Amino acid sequence: MRKDLLASIGLLLIAAAYYAATMTIQESTLGQDEPIGPTGLPTILAALLAVIAVIIGARALLAAPARGKSSDDDKEAEAPWPRALGILVLGSFYIPLAYVLGYPLALVLLITGICLYEGLRPDWRVFAVAIGGAAIFWLIFDVILGVRQPEGLLF
Amino acid sequence: MEQLEQALTMIFTTPLVPAAFAGLTWGILGSSLPGMSASITMALLLPFTYALPPMPAIVMLASCYIGAEYGGSIPAILIRTPGTNSAAATILDGYEMNRQGRGGEALGISLWSGVIGGLWGLAMLVLLTEPLSRVALLFKPTTYCCLGVLGLSLIASLTSKSLLKGLAAAVLGLMVATIGTDPVSGVSRFTFGSPDLLEGITPIFVMVGFFAVSELMMRSGVKPLTLKPNVSIRVRLPKLPMMKKIARAQAIGSSIGTVEGLMPGIGGILASFLAYNEARRWSKEPEKFGHGAEEGVAAPEAANNTTASTALVPLLSFGIPGSNSAAVLLGGLLIHGLLPGPRLFEQNGDVVLGLYTGSFVANLGQILVGMLILPVSVWLVNRPKPYLSAFIFALIMSGIYTVHMSLFDLGIVLTAGLFGYFMRYFGFPILPAVLGVVLGGMVENNLRRSLQLSAGDLSIFLEDPVAMVFLVLAVLIVVAALLNEWRLSAKTRKASVA
Repeated sequence: MRKDLLASIGLLLIAAAYYAATMTIQESTLGQDEPIGPTGLPTILAALLAVIAVIIGARALLAAPARGKSSDDDKEAEAPWPRALGILVLGSFYIPLAYVLGYPLALVLLITGICLYEGLRPDWRVFAVAIGGAAIFWLIFDVILGVRQPEGLLF
Repeated sequence: MEQLEQALTMIFTTPLVPAAFAGLTWGILGSSLPGMSASITMALLLPFTYALPPMPAIVMLASCYIGAEYGGSIPAILIRTPGTNSAAATILDGYEMNRQGRGGEALGISLWSGVIGGLWGLAMLVLLTEPLSRVALLFKPTTYCCLGVLGLSLIASLTSKSLLKGLAAAVLGLMVATIGTDPVSGVSRFTFGSPDLLEGITPIFVMVGFFAVSELMMRSGVKPLTLKPNVSIRVRLPKLPMMKKIARAQAIGSSIGTVEGLMPGIGGILASFLAYNEARRWSKEPEKFGHGAEEGVAAPEAANNTTASTALVPLLSFGIPGSNSAAVLLGGLLIHGLLPGPRLFEQNGDVVLGLYTGSFVANLGQILVGMLILPVSVWLVNRPKPYLSAFIFALIMSGIYTVHMSLFDLGIVLTAGLFGYFMRYFGFPILPAVLGVVLGGMVENNLRRSLQLSAGDLSIFLEDPVAMVFLVLAVLIVVAALLNEWRLSAKTRKASVA
């Protein structure tokens, strides 16, 4: 139930941030012709999410002593969150790399990085697969499909 | 008769057949990798369809869905790990058959039953969709608004153990849908000065992030099962006596799959387990179930392949996708400017006919592709997982870039992946959020249009009986789900005290 409590806090924060952003939306110039306006639904959604978050949190607090076994216990194997975030961070490096180095090189680095992060030892095979893989992707997208991929500042 | 002629002409004059075979091949290959559900396989294909004309794009996605249902049974039978959720029931007897050295026979039965179920489902799709969509011709803005609310509450209550989490997911999806230029007033909302956000968040980015990126995150570092390196299996299609033996199980599976597919949120997994149970109940040899019964493979496979087609009925008729895969297909329709409902049949009849014809081709083509592609699937399943993860990531980055040629979109996909991961981590269902993103515009625009027509008077909803029926149904669904949750938690409390 600790997870539900954390989720409840997270949802409340999202609701608050969303509401704060709603307050910055310009008023509609349609005036009387538009009863709800551009802020109408967002305000309702922020309130609704806040109410749901409070109920989830309250239920988590009330249910905590009654339940011994967490509902997560029977879940299949999954990565711990720091590890899961790691692969996302690694993937996000692709964006600046593609911007600077261009598609093929950024892709080689992305494939190599993920292979190493996922547990392969850094030997020539990993680099060969990364270079070969990037070449195949470049061939499929740029040459066969004719879809331009990012061109870097350097290459 | 005229439509049959048109369909035949389409086969020979349009790229429908290559699109169907390409989708089918990708569907089988993708979903034969454990953890790659049908929806993830389809979501990865989605950006590639962006550059295609609408008809082959939709055919490719639908064929991918069909292929994925068979592909999911390959690892279920060979390594006791379902490739897709709906293949979970196939493990019970399929893996047993494999242990007895009858893996090829189990794959053949799965393939054959998939074809039977798929063709039956397609017949139901053709028969039911257009008449149902005609009902939607009577809809006013108030009706569409309430239909969206009904769809969201239905999915929110059926796809999660907790109604509140389902509703929270739907609200989060609706929030994403409000990003961009407001279509009524032209005011920009939640764009924070970024011109890239003015057009809003394209639903496919959310789908790819929620389904594919979050799955890569979930599975990072988790060791997968592999086949023995010396395994060599060939698909063995059933001969006539076996076809007769499994026909009853296939009929049961197809019937259950029809009903379950029509009900949004139920999905193939429940259909396949129900079909398995019913096939055992009606079998002449129920004691063989769980010990390698052929009917135990035929019934769930027929059921989930039927569901793959009948789940498209509510999608094409009313625009309400009943499953993750149907939601991805809806994304495909929307990026090509195709709005489900009666107008789709009037204005884009060729696309609908192409979808039906392509699905027919894909269902039959499954036999050929399924047999030819098995060695490739087995090879793929045995690749080191790090390579697969890296190539899937590369595919996501390359595919998404093709949509708007913008690196900013990659950031949106990764952000959606982060949200999707945390939603799954905290036990929130993904489908209501996706549906919120897709239906958000429809709900808001019709709500505002209705209130503009009535000068802000909410009683306009009371004047529309169909809208009221939808709204009352939505309330009943929410109340029933709350009561059910309350009853379950009371039972759990009682059990823990005892």
